[in-house]
Amino acid sequence: MRQTMRSVAVYVGLAALAVFLYITVGAQKPPRTKADMIELGRQHKTAADLFQALKNDAKGGHRLEWAKMPDWSGVYTRRPVAGFAFDPDTPPGALPTAKLTPEYQAKMIKRIEDLKKGIEWDPISTCAPPGVPRWLTEPFLREFVVTPDQTWLINEMVNDIRRIYTDGRDHPPEADRYPLYNGDSIGFWDGDKLVIHTNQLKAGIYQRAHPDYTDQVETVEVWRKEDDKTLGADVWVYDPPALVEAWFTHQTYQKLSDPDKSLRIRYWNCGENQNNTVVQTKEGATEFQQFTFVPGDKKQGDK
Amino acid sequence: MRRAFAVARLGVLAMTVGVVPAAAHHSGAMFEERKTITVEGTVKEFQYTNPHSWLLVDVKNKDGTVTTWGFEAEGPTTLMRAGIRPSEFKTGTKITITGRPMKDGKPAATWEYAVRTSDGKKFNPREGFAVK
Repeated sequence: MRQTMRSVAVYVGLAALAVFLYITVGAQKPPRTKADMIELGRQHKTAADLFQALKNDAKGGHRLEWAKMPDWSGVYTRRPVAGFAFDPDTPPGALPTAKLTPEYQAKMIKRIEDLKKGIEWDPISTCAPPGVPRWLTEPFLREFVVTPDQTWLINEMVNDIRRIYTDGRDHPPEADRYPLYNGDSIGFWDGDKLVIHTNQLKAGIYQRAHPDYTDQVETVEVWRKEDDKTLGADVWVYDPPALVEAWFTHQTYQKLSDPDKSLRIRYWNCGENQNNTVVQTKEGATEFQQFTFVPGDKKQGDK
Repeated sequence: MRRAFAVARLGVLAMTVGVVPAAAHHSGAMFEERKTITVEGTVKEFQYTNPHSWLLVDVKNKDGTVTTWGFEAEGPTTLMRAGIRPSEFKTGTKITITGRPMKDGKPAATWEYAVRTSDGKKFNPREGFAVK
């Protein structure tokens, strides 16, 4: 009898340990492989659903305290990716890894065919900002400013700042939403991870030789300091007109060594030099408008 | 234009073009993909500007006339990271520079690399994208 009781106690103890481990380790540990992340995107029909599920997992998230802030200081840049591809895992020369609807697949194939004929136009040629989600791909200097109620994600290109509100506010009411280059971003902290939902975005392209996205595009990002010199972001893009399923990518940003403190983000006036002015031809190609190549060009461009 | 080519050396770029586009805010499709041109000349002005910098180089043609070539590179912070500061190319600096010329024959090209005549130092703007 005593033996039986002891066995039962052992089994109950083991079961309790298993439940404890599931709750404390298994249930809180996010899936780590790319296949797991893709599957997580499939399990949620919209970016809002995925964001809410992550928020539920984090029990609503927590507010940062000034005394315990994550250190995201320094000057970063995106880890170099061939062709600035949106998905860093894209093999060189291969098509983007997004699963596109037939209409957007056809558009992208035409874009690639046109490029082979020298016909290419980039919407940022007019000095417009890249916009989200393309913002993630640009190769310039970046800084990340973390405060309890907002985090600023900064890219030097066209002085681009994304403000992520982590003070508990919601997005504006649907009736008052309008397309924005960087959209409206709200987020929460889950331990050392910043989870972001962005909607209210403008249509654009992921990068040159990449697909279009529509103004229905929304993203979920999970940012985390991966080591002393690396910030990583898991990114799911939802865009029903263009994507058959959420497009998952992992983006990586590396801290630059700056021993002499020479790296500085400066004001970026895209129109300061008239030699940089390009126009779109009737065929859709890009051509320079006016070379003068005389000293003082840049001053004329400032007019 | 054709006179300028008379003093230039044409070549073929060994690198895989397109891995790192030369242009940051506009397509680079107006430039030759693999052909290069190399010219010797004197710096007229280094326009250290966003989103692209331009190195203006006066090139003497065989008939004695001078053509100003423009070599397009990345903006200031990328050039800084490549070790290319405004002071490296003061007006009057003699250089040999290689770039991918425009398809339409205008005297402009991407800046692939430049060698300063006085000390043989080589400058490659794309090194500014490296993570160090």
